[in-house]
Amino acid sequence: MLPDDFLTYLTIGLTHYLVVGAVLFVTGLFTMMTKRNAIGILIGVELVLNSAGVNLVAFDRYMAPGRVDGQIMTLFVIVIAAAEAAIAVGICINLYKNLATVDVDSARKLQG
Amino acid sequence: MNGHTYEILLALGVLAPFVSFWILVFFGPKMGKPGAGWFGVVMGMGIPLVLAIIVLVGWIGELQSGHAGELTANAYRFHWANLGTVPATIGVKLDSLTVAMFFMVALVAFLIFVFSVGYMSGHSDEVDGQCKYSRFFAYLSLFGFSMLGLVVSSSLFFLFVFWELVGLCSYFLIGFYFDKGFASAAAIKAFITNRVGDFGFLIGLMLVFFQLKTLDLDDAAVRFAEQYAAGTGIFASQFTMFGWSLATIMGVGLFCGAMGKSAQFPLHVWLPDAMAGPTPVSALIHAATMVAAGVYLVARVFRLMTPEALMFVAAIGCLTLTLMALVAIVQTDIKKCLAYSTLSQLGYMIFGMGCGAWIAALFHLITHAFFKAMLFLCSGQVIEGCHHEQEMPRMGGLRKKMPVTCWTFFIGVLAISGAGIAGTKIGLGGFFSKDEILAVAYVRAYEWEEGDYHKHDAGEGHGTGHASTVENDGVTYRLASDPVHGDGHGEERAGGAHGDSHGAASKASIFAHIPKLPKWMFWLAIFTAYVTPFYMMRAWWMTFMGKPRDQHVYEHAHEIPLMYLPLVALAIGTFWASYKLFRPLIDDASHAATDAAMVLATNGASHTEAIGAAHQWLKFGVGGAFIVGFVIAIAIYRKGLARAEAIRKAAGPLHVILVKKYFFDEVYNFVWVKGCILVAKIARLFDTYIIDLFVNLAAAFTARLATFSGIIVDNGGVDGVVNGIANTSIDFGDAVRQPQTGRVRNYMLFATAVATIVIICVLIFGLEAQETVASAGSMVP
Repeated sequence: MLPDDFLTYLTIGLTHYLVVGAVLFVTGLFTMMTKRNAIGILIGVELVLNSAGVNLVAFDRYMAPGRVDGQIMTLFVIVIAAAEAAIAVGICINLYKNLATVDVDSARKLQG
Repeated sequence: MNGHTYEILLALGVLAPFVSFWILVFFGPKMGKPGAGWFGVVMGMGIPLVLAIIVLVGWIGELQSGHAGELTANAYRFHWANLGTVPATIGVKLDSLTVAMFFMVALVAFLIFVFSVGYMSGHSDEVDGQCKYSRFFAYLSLFGFSMLGLVVSSSLFFLFVFWELVGLCSYFLIGFYFDKGFASAAAIKAFITNRVGDFGFLIGLMLVFFQLKTLDLDDAAVRFAEQYAAGTGIFASQFTMFGWSLATIMGVGLFCGAMGKSAQFPLHVWLPDAMAGPTPVSALIHAATMVAAGVYLVARVFRLMTPEALMFVAAIGCLTLTLMALVAIVQTDIKKCLAYSTLSQLGYMIFGMGCGAWIAALFHLITHAFFKAMLFLCSGQVIEGCHHEQEMPRMGGLRKKMPVTCWTFFIGVLAISGAGIAGTKIGLGGFFSKDEILAVAYVRAYEWEEGDYHKHDAGEGHGTGHASTVENDGVTYRLASDPVHGDGHGEERAGGAHGDSHGAASKASIFAHIPKLPKWMFWLAIFTAYVTPFYMMRAWWMTFMGKPRDQHVYEHAHEIPLMYLPLVALAIGTFWASYKLFRPLIDDASHAATDAAMVLATNGASHTEAIGAAHQWLKFGVGGAFIVGFVIAIAIYRKGLARAEAIRKAAGPLHVILVKKYFFDEVYNFVWVKGCILVAKIARLFDTYIIDLFVNLAAAFTARLATFSGIIVDNGGVDGVVNGIANTSIDFGDAVRQPQTGRVRNYMLFATAVATIVIICVLIFGLEAQETVASAGSMVP
């Protein structure tokens, strides 16, 4: 027994995008918290950034149609993500050079 | 030369040995064995001797041209400091006495330095790994500095400072062989005995300081005369002790210093023991110069002496000269024999001072310095030649082995015996000087008009006292520089005039009050004049004449040229230096140095010119004494020691008393040393049971207090607060540190958790707040 406005629910709207963004965000966060491998954490970060990109585009499309502010912001996020990834990989390489591993749990030198 | 040239030269002469001392102290060991000695000779005494000769020659010129008095009066005084209101000045006491003494000290010391270069090379074993040879010359240089400084001091204060310095040098040098027990003991004995005398000196010095309010020798004399005339100051005091007035105590106190340094009667015990030092030291310090400093001191403070004080001086001198001459008869140690002879001769000088024979006593001082230094150096030569043998009974016959020493010693014997041809000017030093003392003593004992001495009614009834010059049987008594005759004296006092003439006049009245000398003093001095040649001839004969008594000693005997050259020089000095040079200088000094004082002097002419009947027999009686003494000595010792042994047995207890030196050492040992130890023991008991009790109680109390304040207050209170703060900080830090695990994932977890909580909070409360704001906003129109 489907409700009357069943089709309304089937129509792809803002909520669907936000759900996808939330799923991406939580997946990324979970990855960052559980992975010990620095590369894994980097992947988690990328997921989180992408969830933010999805949200930005979705809000732009549905809340302010006809404007491209959100799209442009998303482009910025992508560029910054690329820069961040380069730095993060650099950190990973240095981490490996110093500790012969990319396990972040062994990088504890800053602890007092 | 003009201005202050003489003073500068004399001051440089004083400083040269001081520089030499420091150089020898620091660099002496590097200079090596003869090097350090020759440096001492040149720097330590050569320079002063050259300066002394320059000054002496110049000064004689000044005397002839009559500028000397002016130079003395204008001598520079450096104002060093004020002791209260009393100024302490430094300066050179420039007068004939200083010039003569300076020259004498420099010359004798120079010759003894030269002698020491040879002598000490065999007598300075290295006992403690350091070179004692250079140390000896360092000490000698320091002594030269002190002694020359003493001679030139213009102030009683600095005279005292140098006085103590010579005492210190004496201590160093007596104890030079400090590894030998007897030498260090002798050094301590000399030092302590001198302290006793110096205590008196200090009392006298303080009286001068407080009563005369000056420390300058000349000023003190002027003030003394003024106070005497006015009856003020020291003469106003009613204080007496042993029947002496305060002024007399001052004089006696100053003389006490001389008693210690010149080893006079009760304090003579240190001088024979001082022979433990090296022989050049005995010659320089304990015969020629330092011990004579006592006589020099009396000469300098002569103007501060009352007639009673001078009588005390004469009595002490008389006792010393007699008792010590008798002890010298029985001495067998060659140096001890000379030491007692020195004591006796010092007694003569002090006795002369006490009699008022100012000139004769100083003259005797200088002649004695020459011949006694020579005798001691001869004994040093003998001891060195005989390998440290000092006992005369083991010598004998040494004339063949050491002819120069033998005959220089003989010249010394003649000089000390007063050998000369009576009625002529032919004679050795002692002939003139000792005769002069005896002549003055004779005058004082027999031809003196005794006056009453009352210090408070001075000048009354004595207006016609002695005039400045009285011719009496060819002997001239001179009241030096007495410009005012007694008649004018009363008027001057009435007029209240002050000044030099005033002082001179008051001295004239002191002069009138000089009492007669007791006759026994004169006769003891005459008696000793016979004893002196006897023991000196005995010593000479036992050492050099007769047959060798110890073949071993005889075979080893030899002479060292470096050591007998000074002997010859001194022997020549004994002839030359006496009458022509020093006597006129001291005669001149008496004008300036004792101006307005009571100087009673027979002038030198009494030896040659026609003299009265009374003096005639005195001259011949004493002038021939040396022959009598020599004959007796030779008669006894000609055939070895057998006759002397027989006499010794016959004398019995008398001999024992003399050998034991009147038991002075034993009595002093019993009374002072044992007494001191007894007092120390009592003091120790007091210390142990009384003082320690209090100290221990105080200590226990302090310990308890410390425990309380340390453990309870400090540890619990003060440290508790500080530590508490620290511990709290540490605990807090530990707690805060816990989340800082260093794990990135943990940080991420925290961040997520916090973000989640914040979002939840915003979702719950934020909406309410928004509603509140919205409702609040709706209320605003």
